[in-house]
Amino acid sequence: MSTPDKQRRSFLQGAALAVTAGAVSRAGAAALPEAPLQASPATQPPLHPANGRPYQPVVTLNGWSLPWRMNNGVKEFHLVAEPVVREIAPGMKARLWGYNGQSPGPTIEVVEGDRVRIFVTNKLPEATSVHWHGQRLPNGMDGVSGLTQPAIPPGKTYVYEFTARRAGTFMYHPHADEMVQMAMGMMGFWVTHPKDPGFMRVDRDFVFLMNAYDIAPGASVPKVSTMLDFNLWTWNSRAFPGIDPLVVRQNDRVRIRVGNLTMTNHPLHLHGHEFSVTGTDGGWVPPAARWPEVTTDIAVGQMRAIEFDATEEGDWALHCHKAHHTMNAMGHDLPTMIGVDQSKVLDKITRLIPDYMAMGDKGGSMGEMEMPLPENTLPMMTGRGPYGPIEMGGMFSTVKVRKQLARDDYRDPGWYRAPAGTVARPWNGPAPSAARAPDRDDGKPTLEVVKPGMQGGHQGHH
Amino acid sequence: MIPHVSRPLRAAAVAACALLAGCAQLSPDGGFGQVEQASSTRLGQAPAWNRTPQQTQASSEHVRQLLHDPANSTPRLASADDAVQIALINNPDLQADFAGLGVAEADLVQAGRLPNPGFSFKRSHAGDDLKIERSLSLGLMRLLTLPAASRIEQRRFEQVRLSLASRVLSVAAQTRQAYYQAVAAQQGLQYQKQVADAAEAAHALAAQMARLGNISQLDSAREQFFYGQAQTSLQQARRLAAQHKESLARLLGLAPDFSLPAQLPALPRQLEAVDDIEQQALQQRLDVEAARTELEGLQTSLGLTRATRLVNVLDLGALRTTESGKPVENGYEISLEIPLFDWGEARVAKAEAIYLQGAHKLAAAVLDARAQARLAWRERQDAYTLARRYQDEWLPLRQRIADENVLRYNGMLVSVFILLADAREQAATVNAAIEAQRDFWIADASLQLALGGRPTQGKQP
Ligand SMILES: [Cu+2]
Repeated sequence: MSTPDKQRRSFLQGAALAVTAGAVSRAGAAALPEAPLQASPATQPPLHPANGRPYQPVVTLNGWSLPWRMNNGVKEFHLVAEPVVREIAPGMKARLWGYNGQSPGPTIEVVEGDRVRIFVTNKLPEATSVHWHGQRLPNGMDGVSGLTQPAIPPGKTYVYEFTARRAGTFMYHPHADEMVQMAMGMMGFWVTHPKDPGFMRVDRDFVFLMNAYDIAPGASVPKVSTMLDFNLWTWNSRAFPGIDPLVVRQNDRVRIRVGNLTMTNHPLHLHGHEFSVTGTDGGWVPPAARWPEVTTDIAVGQMRAIEFDATEEGDWALHCHKAHHTMNAMGHDLPTMIGVDQSKVLDKITRLIPDYMAMGDKGGSMGEMEMPLPENTLPMMTGRGPYGPIEMGGMFSTVKVRKQLARDDYRDPGWYRAPAGTVARPWNGPAPSAARAPDRDDGKPTLEVVKPGMQGGHQGHH
Repeated sequence: MIPHVSRPLRAAAVAACALLAGCAQLSPDGGFGQVEQASSTRLGQAPAWNRTPQQTQASSEHVRQLLHDPANSTPRLASADDAVQIALINNPDLQADFAGLGVAEADLVQAGRLPNPGFSFKRSHAGDDLKIERSLSLGLMRLLTLPAASRIEQRRFEQVRLSLASRVLSVAAQTRQAYYQAVAAQQGLQYQKQVADAAEAAHALAAQMARLGNISQLDSAREQFFYGQAQTSLQQARRLAAQHKESLARLLGLAPDFSLPAQLPALPRQLEAVDDIEQQALQQRLDVEAARTELEGLQTSLGLTRATRLVNVLDLGALRTTESGKPVENGYEISLEIPLFDWGEARVAKAEAIYLQGAHKLAAAVLDARAQARLAWRERQDAYTLARRYQDEWLPLRQRIADENVLRYNGMLVSVFILLADAREQAATVNAAIEAQRDFWIADASLQLALGGRPTQGKQP
């Protein structure tokens, strides 16, 4: 996590780098607001509004919010659609498409009733558009290329303008060649804050998008024709252990807003606390309609806002409950080796394949193994915790609840130190006798299975 | 190409020839020295003619030495050169051909000897009638034709020597090729063993996994099938290796109970540039020399025919039967005629025609030699390029694929079965590389033969 100073520097740097290419004419460029760039994949501190209506800013997990300028009462943003390099996790970089140096693009934060003008410069090799997912806006601003507007050709800048009418949780993404462009990482978060900053006010408001990539081991560009069989399951294009923790102060009211732009649903599960789903794509859920959850399924193309009071100190897992989504790239056509004794053939195999090592005979656990992998490939499950390998990857992070934290302090406090006697421990006493099921009563008839067959089937035939 | 015909020899020549021919003696080496000489300059290795028990003993001892491996008790053939050397002193067909040289020399000497005067006595009965004939004869005919016959036999002997030297070169080339075939087949067998091992490991693993319920019977059956296939291929490779070793052993005149090097000789770093291969071929090739000798002989016959007209000496070409399906018959016929009706003009014309024929044959031999040299050169060049590509590009690439697969296996991205299948494919590439290397050495031996046996690559491995 970087300091606000660092953040300013990167913004300045961004301003210097912004709109340099000849894509935008000089006269046009003079009229355009800055298009800041972000180079770091770390979670940036919240962007407190310097002007315009006040609001409580969000924190984008492993991301940032886009600065704006006020122009005669209109909030002006500048998005540049362009190829980017995103570190999925330390040790692996992906060549993606995104906005302003990152994929996903920066979070856009506005306030209910704001007049918003967004310049979109296309530096991609093909036409694009931006659809403002979930917003009420004039039809011509909906960003569906061909339907509501011509697509933005490469090298051109288009401008969108509308009033943010409804407070809530939104996304933006292309609606032009979207299968390819979303597979390449084109997407971003949008939050419209309520006009009244006290409305459903929380202490910490985290946002991230769920996305998935299919990047072959040793490669760095996603396979854009993959429909379902993705191998990297990510939040904001990051996979655990590359996902930052969600750091909160004990007893903070916490909101986590999640959007799903993958091709499948994700049951998001939080440990240690119950939460309520307080917002959907359609808006805020009336308090009377909420029900407690520890897991909420987020369907494809949906947004959910969940809220809870972080009452319990500790490092609490937050993850997708599809086990396959909490690990990184793994072969999908592997035979199970559990219980297979390879000792007899090991000799023959190592004569042919000298670097061969028998694996998987006791399960899939790889946590302690360190073997060379194809370059630019993440190991399957490698996150390490205070007690050893966490054996997780992909859509996994932790909510770190701590007592003594400042309001805006999002720095990783390190691993939780559990009070003595509160951690599961080895039992060294005598083994307790196991409870046994009573013997079965043999008087009951056994189940007979009759397979459908020829018997009696031809009775009527002569 | 056609030299002018020398001035006719006068009748006196007949006597001169007789004088010359009278010198013909059986040589102590049976003419083998020249064969040995031709082989040594062209191959750098000398043949041996095992005529006496002592010579046979010496050759056996030489073979034993060549096969001796100080590190091992079993006989070991160390190189293609050793194989050639053994064949040159131990190949039984070659020994039989060497013996033919003795026959030819005996003929030569016989042709140069004056016939002995002879007596004949004939006693016959016809019913009660007893007839006794006595005669004293001297082979007048032989006496008259002796000079011509002697020259012809001299040339024929020359031809036999040339063809024998040519046989030596061809046996050397055959041996070299058989050696490379045998080593390559044995090397291929080793790799096929690895393939079979991989298939066996996969099969054993799959069978165990099917028993435990980790994979389906279908997948297990597939691995078993691959195993069966690999076993069959291994058997074929074993058969091939045995066949090639037998062929080599036959050329060496030995039983195949010697071991071979594990690997073919390495490819030369680069091929030397030779720009006069055609010239080399013309200077070295024995078939060209044979055609030249034949033409010289025909020239002599032509001169003789012109000089005598009455002595009908038409050799070789005249008697060269060209009946299809039968071996070419070389020889000569000499007859003496009494010039009553025919004064020999037609005979001279015929001799001239035959001489012309010989000249064209020489031209054809030259053309052949040039073409063969060019072709063999190009083929060796191509074989080299291919073998190099295998060695420098494809084998390293295969290795990289194998390495990458292991990395993927490490990341649990592919299964052990993929690794084993890749090992099988890798072995197939290695086999192809061995074959390419073998083909280069075989092409190299062919080029040597096409250039008249001269080593092209220095000392041969
Ligand atoms: Cu999931």
